[in-house]
Amino acid sequence: MKTSFISSNAIAQTMRNHMMRMQVELVQRQQEVTTQRLADPGKTLGARAGFSFSMARDIERLENLLDSNGLAANRLSATQNALEQFSNVSQDLLSTLTAAVSGVSDTSIVRAAATRSLESVTSILNTNMNGEYLFAGINTDVKPVNEFTAPGSPNQAQFDNYFQTHFGFTQTDPAAANITAAQMNDFIDNTLIPGFMGTDWQAAWSNASDETITSRITLNETAQTSTTANSIGMRKVALATAMTSDLLKIPLSEETQKALYTKATSLVGEAVADVARIQSEVGVSEIRVKDATDRVEAQIDLSKLFVNEMEGVDPYEASTKLNELLTQIETSYALTARIQQLSLLRHL
Amino acid sequence: MSLTSALSIAQSALFNTSRQTSVVSRNISDASNPDYARRTSIYSSTNGGARISEIRRATNEALFRQNLTALSGWQAQASMSGGLDTLQLRVNGPDNATSPAAKLGVLQEALQTFAATPSNVTLGENAVEAARGLVRSLNNGTQAIQSYRAELDAEIKVSVDDLNRLLAEFETVNKEVVKGTRAGSDISDAMDARDSLLKKISQYVPVSTVNRPDNDMMVLTADGATLFETIARPVTFTANTTYTAAMTGNAIYVDGVPLAAGTGGNTTAMGSLAAKLQMRDVVAPQMQRQLDETARGLIEAFAETDSSGANPLAGLFTWPGGPALPTSGTLVEGLAGRITVNAAVDSEKGGDPKLLRDGGINGAAYVKNTSGAASYSSTLIAYTQKLDEPIAFDPAAGIASPRSLTGYTADSIGWLEALRQDAARGAEAKEALSVRTATALSNEIGVNMDEEMALLLELEHSYEASARLMSVVDEMLATLMSIAR
Repeated sequence: MKTSFISSNAIAQTMRNHMMRMQVELVQRQQEVTTQRLADPGKTLGARAGFSFSMARDIERLENLLDSNGLAANRLSATQNALEQFSNVSQDLLSTLTAAVSGVSDTSIVRAAATRSLESVTSILNTNMNGEYLFAGINTDVKPVNEFTAPGSPNQAQFDNYFQTHFGFTQTDPAAANITAAQMNDFIDNTLIPGFMGTDWQAAWSNASDETITSRITLNETAQTSTTANSIGMRKVALATAMTSDLLKIPLSEETQKALYTKATSLVGEAVADVARIQSEVGVSEIRVKDATDRVEAQIDLSKLFVNEMEGVDPYEASTKLNELLTQIETSYALTARIQQLSLLRHL
Repeated sequence: MSLTSALSIAQSALFNTSRQTSVVSRNISDASNPDYARRTSIYSSTNGGARISEIRRATNEALFRQNLTALSGWQAQASMSGGLDTLQLRVNGPDNATSPAAKLGVLQEALQTFAATPSNVTLGENAVEAARGLVRSLNNGTQAIQSYRAELDAEIKVSVDDLNRLLAEFETVNKEVVKGTRAGSDISDAMDARDSLLKKISQYVPVSTVNRPDNDMMVLTADGATLFETIARPVTFTANTTYTAAMTGNAIYVDGVPLAAGTGGNTTAMGSLAAKLQMRDVVAPQMQRQLDETARGLIEAFAETDSSGANPLAGLFTWPGGPALPTSGTLVEGLAGRITVNAAVDSEKGGDPKLLRDGGINGAAYVKNTSGAASYSSTLIAYTQKLDEPIAFDPAAGIASPRSLTGYTADSIGWLEALRQDAARGAEAKEALSVRTATALSNEIGVNMDEEMALLLELEHSYEASARLMSVVDEMLATLMSIAR
């Protein structure tokens, strides 16, 4: 007659099962302590694992955005720098032309200054960064502005054509010297300005596209991150320098020269104002990119926090649990040894 | 003649003791056999001294049945949990690294980088490589799921064969029990063997038993299909060696009745066979449908429109039905296995990755960047945006719609992980139950060594006493004889 009963097999099995379970947990905790991340986030988080995964994926995309924003920011600051130079060149030219209007300068000096300005402006507009032309709009693999002074250039040919069509003779014709101030004004106002400001500009001068580069600066926001050589200011500077350097080849009368200088001065003056406008536009884009970068960084931090809250493991808690387990397992070993000793056999 | 009768009682006591000792030694030798039930000798008094009338086998019918049920439940849950882990690892990879969701992220990043510097053709190539990676992930996922289903079929086949063998053994053992009962011989060993077989059978299918006269037993599945009744009933199954997404697996027939699959992550299935059916017919196909919908969503998101913004045709991703698009919001079975990167864009097939930037995968009417400008980024930006816009998905795949493609792929991970979590929790609980019932049963019918040793001591003493008795009677008889001489 017995009141309660336990089988020897059950004692051994129970011990073994407990030991196994503790060892399984030990491995998990060990991993958690070393990686500070859940051993199997999927199993622990269940349906929320999808959410935490998409967070982690967003973090990578956002970090990628930071890189591309860096590219855009570089392009914008290089553009800003080039515009600054452009503005400086225009200012210098303006002072030379102003002096010329008051009649103190030699024609050759003015002509040389105009040619130099034309060349610098062309080279500034043709600035290349990482294989992309800064002022080409989206057509970045083609040099935006043709060189006027290069032999056989299309823009020189177009200019000669304008002259020929308007006056009926070429610049080298002796009749050219007889062009009056009124005729010159008429030529500039009615042929050159409409030609340069219209579609002819893209036919002979510029290969840039009107469309500027669009960049994605946050996950759902885009910004224009480049500018183009087709803006009014650049056309006006090109016109002023081209006509001054080309038409001064003709031995014009002083009055006609003055008319030419006056027109050039007003063109460059207007251009300086326009370039300042472009500079401020580029500045706005720079600030947008910078703001976007800051926002993206904040978003990354926030997302990382979320992911860490879900998948992270408190290292103190994990190591405390690990220690507990170790103690438990050790106790269990000791107990097993004691229970092994605990047999009636040893006392018979 | 009381001295002679004392002698004969002592003799029968010796006989009893040795018989009991043999029971004890049998108990001890099988102490660690979980299928062994403890035997005890039952005495009955006769006028010639006590006699062992029966060797009784310890039983507890209720606990035994509970243990069988717990065993079925645990086996099912363990199969389920293991199967889900396998699927997760093969399709989504460790940390979901090879999942379509992760590869879609890579593609998005590559597109983003390309959009930032569209003039750099290498980045276009890189984006196309990311697209290939995504296609590989979908193709491999499909293949992994379908080959897993075929593997399950092979496992089921092995299990069914084993089950049939167990049932045949059961028939033999049951016959022995019935015969022994009728003949009145000791059937304890046969009973042990029969219980052990029942435990093994219940790992495959849930069993309920009906006891009949002469210790005969009838075994049914929990659904009521007959596994054994006087003779073993056949369990039949035909395995498929290969699977495609559209294929349905064959049923397992128990005596002609199809075995039902379980439902849910913490599965209702009992026995590993039902759980395997569930994995093969419910879980794996569902996962396949999600991959198929992801593939369809991709084709849709990267579709190209002509310059008027109409007549969309398959763009970066295409399928055998291309360039026409698959019907929106409708599942195309097995699409994930057949999706490809459009040859017009794939440089490995002589395509031009630049078409991704400029449009025109479907010919000149579809070109967006008509001037061919190198830094045209609008199409690329539109693609990345499209991936975040909600589109309609087929509800048959079990994920709420409408959803953005990126969200959908993440939800697919969430769906699988939720199942795994349920299954893991269920497995823990069911394992505990099965261990507990096994322990309880073992405590009821198992052997305790100390008790057997104590019993042995007792037997030793009673043997000594009986022997002593005999020698005393012998002396007394000798004395008597010497007087008579």
